[in-house]
Amino acid sequence: MSAMLEVRDLVTAYGKIEALRGVSLEVQAGSITCLLGPNGAGKTTLMMTIAGILRPRAGSVRFAGREIARRPPHEIVGAGVALVPENRLVFPGMSVRENLYAGAYLRRDGEIEADLERLFERFPRLRERAGQDAGTLSGGEQQMLAVARSLMSRPKLLLMDEPSLGLAPLVVEEIFRIVADLHRDGTTIFLVEQNAHMALRVAHHFYLIEQGRITFSGDPGSLAEDEVIRRAYLGSARR
Amino acid sequence: MLADLLQNTLDGLAAGASYAPVALGFALIFGVLRRANLSYGPAIMLGCYAAALAHGRFPGLGLGALAAIALLAAVLAGAYVERLCFAPHRRGSAVAAMVASFALWMQLEEIATLMLPRHVVAFPALYEGEPLAIAGLVLRVEALAAIATAAAVCALLAAILYRSRFGLAVRALVAAPLAAELSGIRPARVFFLVFALASAIGGTAGFLVAATDAQITPMMGLWLTFKGLLATMLGGLGSLPGAVAGALVLGLVEAHAQWFLGPQLRDFVVYLLLFSLLAAAPRWMRTPSPS
Amino acid sequence: MDAYAVSVLTNIGLLGFLALSAYLVLLAGEMSFGQQAFFGIGAYCGGMLTAMAGWPLPLAALAAMAAGAAAAVAVALPTLRLRGLYFAMATLAAAEMARIGFELLHWQVEVAGEPVGPDGTQGFRGIRWVFEAGLAPEGYAVLVWTALAAVTALLAVAERARLGATLRAVGEDPALAAALGLDVHRFKLGVIAASGGLAALGGVLFAHHNTYIEPRNFDVMLGVHGLAYALIGGLGTVFGALVGVALDVGLLEGVRVFQGYRMIVFGGLVALLLVLRPRGLLDEETVRWIGRRFS
Repeated sequence: MSAMLEVRDLVTAYGKIEALRGVSLEVQAGSITCLLGPNGAGKTTLMMTIAGILRPRAGSVRFAGREIARRPPHEIVGAGVALVPENRLVFPGMSVRENLYAGAYLRRDGEIEADLERLFERFPRLRERAGQDAGTLSGGEQQMLAVARSLMSRPKLLLMDEPSLGLAPLVVEEIFRIVADLHRDGTTIFLVEQNAHMALRVAHHFYLIEQGRITFSGDPGSLAEDEVIRRAYLGSARR
Repeated sequence: MLADLLQNTLDGLAAGASYAPVALGFALIFGVLRRANLSYGPAIMLGCYAAALAHGRFPGLGLGALAAIALLAAVLAGAYVERLCFAPHRRGSAVAAMVASFALWMQLEEIATLMLPRHVVAFPALYEGEPLAIAGLVLRVEALAAIATAAAVCALLAAILYRSRFGLAVRALVAAPLAAELSGIRPARVFFLVFALASAIGGTAGFLVAATDAQITPMMGLWLTFKGLLATMLGGLGSLPGAVAGALVLGLVEAHAQWFLGPQLRDFVVYLLLFSLLAAAPRWMRTPSPS
Repeated sequence: MDAYAVSVLTNIGLLGFLALSAYLVLLAGEMSFGQQAFFGIGAYCGGMLTAMAGWPLPLAALAAMAAGAAAAVAVALPTLRLRGLYFAMATLAAAEMARIGFELLHWQVEVAGEPVGPDGTQGFRGIRWVFEAGLAPEGYAVLVWTALAAVTALLAVAERARLGATLRAVGEDPALAAALGLDVHRFKLGVIAASGGLAALGGVLFAHHNTYIEPRNFDVMLGVHGLAYALIGGLGTVFGALVGVALDVGLLEGVRVFQGYRMIVFGGLVALLLVLRPRGLLDEETVRWIGRRFS
């Protein structure tokens, strides 16, 4: 396996406050990589920096060998990196189908309809609600829509920021089944997750971020062995 | 008495129809950018001045050519306003953007008076014949043109917003800006195009108003911004159908108030209505989405 | 000093009051498009009291300020819970109603054989207290500037004291201010009353400088200018508002090479300035920096 995404010494700041203080990590092609960390550690900042929403102050982000740090979001989406943002963020007031078309905004090829059809097969609930206002969907359905919308850009790397946040346990199960499905079909996935129990079942590699720095890197086995992490993330039944 | 009421209603609806596209352009900018553009009217006014200048130099130009000139000049002026007042403040202060748009208003007004120094400038009339008389009511041909234009503008705007790729981008950007950017939509570009579209709509509306009055003054900028702002406010700020409804209400209230109370109190009644609405029903004024 | 310079100086002083009143409202976190109404109310009240009732100017000014403050509170009471553009529009609507009110105001009395008083759109002539008191234009300029200096000093002192910090807290984070036990609503009303009184004081002095006022003096353009002055100058200090006025009236009125292009130059400059400094020339950071240099 080779590194599809390579982050080196990334620094991102809000004014004088550095949220990322030199983050380095790699996501191998064809893997599911998971980023753990407490609230405010910089998880979302990292995702937003990779996606081009935030400009890093220093460091580099290479995707498939190409530098993408400081490029605008539309170029990064065009290069094949899509982020499913925290809290889902569907387009309320627009139909499910329109949400999906918006995901394919940059595409000019003739296969958009075919991809839509494929996604409807993967997410039958979305087909049922294709004409419905996306704002009226349940939380789980919105999360599926957000994932499906990102897939409409045909990403090689899918970034997911806390996909299970605020969802009922059964829905979380479904989301992780989808993550595993997507991975089996060849998508590389880099996800932020607080639900370490679920992540342990699918992810191949883990990073832990604390106060803007990577403090742990290892496979699921070494994660479960780490005493500190076990107490913080796997100990009592969080959620 | 009944005939008067009917006539006022008819006149009011005609006036409202001429306000409707003015309000649509204003509401489009506000709905998408969440910024009030005080230079909205002055940019349109400048467009009409360009048309009047062309009319003076080349008297042979027809109304269609002059309308095209007015539209193009309004779009250029609007693009200038966007670049200088709104693009730099896209993520920043709404107040700074608004004050900057006021500063450019002063500038556009002076450019207009330098182009044509006379206070009142003649404008080619839309129609010079007699008004129509139907069942005792008088209907100006210009009013018919205003109603037809308003309907056409509404239909065209709806088609752009709901049937085009650009419209999808605009609505996505309003519904969830971050998600839109993550889908590859470029806000700066969409905002610029929205400004151009709003200026084109406003330019059409302004040209029609100028040709109906057969004259223009530098005050036209203030007039257009105010009518746009008032109609948009009355209809619930940021909603496009609301802006059209607000324009019609504004036209109707003005027509009846003018008839019963005279021109000064007409304006008073409109401001009183707006003030009372804001004071009594602030919730109603907050419609978040533009669609 | 020639008469022109004196008149420019006086005008800067008069508009200074308006800019200060806009500045106060901005500090409280609101934006008013209607301060011109209180300026106008001050002008009409003061003018009527001296020219028609024969009051001396200082007394008339006090009464006019009270009227301006009362009017500002009357507008703010039902609308203060509105935010942003909604509050701005409510104040604009109120100010336009006031202006139309001036247009409808016809009330003249006979003074020395001549009718004196507001005459609707014809305006209100013969506000001659300054002339009758034997005050020269220079003397009046000194009077205006003394009053402005006194007000500015008062505000500067209040800003340095806890009041300024409180005001900024209310403007920037009303929820936090409320959590700290401050009655935000009453505090804001107080600030708005003060802003109305200040604008009215400017109006009284304006009326007695011009001796003639008319309703259209107090249209929305005046109010937006006041707002623009405060913003160009910056919200970091009370002097910012005055810098804003001086920049417009002083610089461009004084340098007459821009004759005929004044608004093109000024408008462009302001728009560019706001790109470079969206919070005005003397914003909070600059003021802190200056403060450190001189302490």
